[in-house]
Amino acid sequence: MKLRMVGCSHHQAGLDIRQRLAFDTTQVAKALAQWQNDLPETELVLLSTCNRVELYAAAAQDIPRTEELVTALARFHHFAPGELSGRIVSLSDQQVAAHLLRVAASLDSMVVGEPQILAQVKQAFQIAQAQQVAGPRLHNLFQAALHTAKRVAGETALHRHRVSIPSVAIAELANCVFESFDDKHVLVAGAGDMAEETLRYLREVGNPQIHVVNRSEERGRELADQWRGSYHPWNELADQLALADMAISTTSASEPIVSATLFAERIAPHRHQRPLVILDLAVPRDFDSAIGRELGVYLYCIDDLEQACDRNRAARAAELPAAEQIVREETAKFVADVHLRDTAPVITGLRAGLHRPKEAELERLFHKLPELDEQSREEIRQFADRLVNKLLHPPLESLRDASRNGTHHSLLDALRRLFKLED
Amino acid sequence: MDSGINIVCFSASYAVALALEISRLWMKIPYARLLEILAASAGIVAHTWYLGRRITEQPAAPLSSQQDWFLLAAWVLAVVYLAAKFYYPGKSLGLFQLPGVLALVGASSLASTRPLAPEEAPRIWGLAHGMFLLLGTVAVIVGFFAGIMYLLHSRRLKRKLPPKAGFRLPSLEWLERANGRSLGIATLMMCGGLLTGVIARLAQQGSTRNFSWSDPVVISLTAMTVWLVACEVFRIIYPAARRGRKVAYLTVAAFVFLVFVLAAVVWGDRFHSQQAGKQTWRIENGNSVPASGGVV
Repeated sequence: MKLRMVGCSHHQAGLDIRQRLAFDTTQVAKALAQWQNDLPETELVLLSTCNRVELYAAAAQDIPRTEELVTALARFHHFAPGELSGRIVSLSDQQVAAHLLRVAASLDSMVVGEPQILAQVKQAFQIAQAQQVAGPRLHNLFQAALHTAKRVAGETALHRHRVSIPSVAIAELANCVFESFDDKHVLVAGAGDMAEETLRYLREVGNPQIHVVNRSEERGRELADQWRGSYHPWNELADQLALADMAISTTSASEPIVSATLFAERIAPHRHQRPLVILDLAVPRDFDSAIGRELGVYLYCIDDLEQACDRNRAARAAELPAAEQIVREETAKFVADVHLRDTAPVITGLRAGLHRPKEAELERLFHKLPELDEQSREEIRQFADRLVNKLLHPPLESLRDASRNGTHHSLLDALRRLFKLED
Repeated sequence: MDSGINIVCFSASYAVALALEISRLWMKIPYARLLEILAASAGIVAHTWYLGRRITEQPAAPLSSQQDWFLLAAWVLAVVYLAAKFYYPGKSLGLFQLPGVLALVGASSLASTRPLAPEEAPRIWGLAHGMFLLLGTVAVIVGFFAGIMYLLHSRRLKRKLPPKAGFRLPSLEWLERANGRSLGIATLMMCGGLLTGVIARLAQQGSTRNFSWSDPVVISLTAMTVWLVACEVFRIIYPAARRGRKVAYLTVAAFVFLVFVLAAVVWGDRFHSQQAGKQTWRIENGNSVPASGGVV
């Protein structure tokens, strides 16, 4: 196996270094094309995400040294010599396989179990394929990584537990109340970042009508335009709440913007107990906690959602041993497959080495016994084939066993020397 | 024509499906959903076979006796469960519906096997009466389970409790809709059942003179129908009664009425079977046959 990986991730390097070392898709293609000229015999894939930049290399014979690959990375981004020292990790052969399989299964991510990494791994390989720098060795490695990620997703609940506040709010609360969001009215009070992120998750599951109420008209209109919603002045807050199915509040008000009295007197009478999900993501709270006791109201503040996130993080952690076991199994399988492929030329040579004398001997025999009919000749041919196969079976089986254990190199050498096989 | 399929066969299949649904609350069983579908399907096939055999042996079946009526209601509910299993594969609907199926099958073993006034009532009215009540019963049971699910789900969300692995319920919106629709369908079916029952009895007797409104079944059925109609009127004039917990409470109350009706059918029914003092019946090869010389 001739594999090497150099790169850095959130484990080794801070955000400043990762940002400087990051590649966008155009840069990835450009860098791969450039490195292909410098290292023509090497297969390459560059994986660049927010949390990691990793260059994977594979070769039939001489794999580039770590320094060569680090220099290639550093030169592209004009790093000074030595600037990356201590921040780059280098792995080789089996370590590379184990690492990529963990990365694709999202076990090495900053937020373990986050689903985006799989798409990023796929994209990295596709770009390398398009640039014609990824060959059969990296193809096999990346296929194994994608297969492992699929197994981890299917056989464990690692990805099922959401861990960000907006995703928990939508998946574990809003989805439990509403069947569909397409006919719903969502009120956004305030224009904080958390509101935007929640709306992003909301748009993934449906297409609700968005109403923005904000003290600053300019910022409110900006947010409304961004999400194809409508802006309403701040004094319409109560009226809009009476119409809404869901409210997301992220204002920076120091006092609750909706008191229990206001809700009971001006909002509840118009709602007729229609369900209302309130995500109070503001600190301090925007909604009086007593509003949560109203019929049909499901009021969740940021602490409630944070608790749900913590529970989910713990649930993900509980799934980690099973996921790691899958990665170990798949790594062992990948390594065994690679070793088995290494033995293929020797096996082919062995077969060919015995096939030639067999054919010569058969020819000689048929020449000596011209009275043999076609059926008898066929029987003798089959006898010879069976004999060759039976003679080959024990050494090939030993070779397969050795390749599974990774101890096949000495056996391959011995076979080459015994049977005078050439590479 | 004894195929060996009896009530125990399909009850056991439904019980296995229920056991699988329950066990999923605590443990991860590989292919549990597939096994549940297989168990429920096996139950429905055996159940259908059993009812089909009853029809071939007794043309008035599957509404020829109270037992048949209960078995047919259980069959409809089991089919509703299986359909729901395909439409909402991840939800724990079976935890609520399968006990209902098993309860109806259990009630059938307690119910009378005597024919439901076979010769006298015009068949078309009797059939319509039985079918209306059967569909009304299923609608009330489905509404009841949806109501219970709504209350549980709403309580969990209100109290901000974490979801339990393996126990997933449909959204409150879906449950509220299922509740409302079940209540509406149950009201129509029960009104139809009561009306066709009265018509069947009038057609049978030719006058209202012998019509007994004091029969426990008639009293409980009438009370239930009046309750359902009142619920619908309430829902029309009071918008909050169309929402969430109120609909759930209405369907739960409707189910309580239904339990009284079914209890009256099983234990207190004189009206729906052969007139007392005329004939006793015994079961022979699954059929109700007059007992020789048996006079009560």
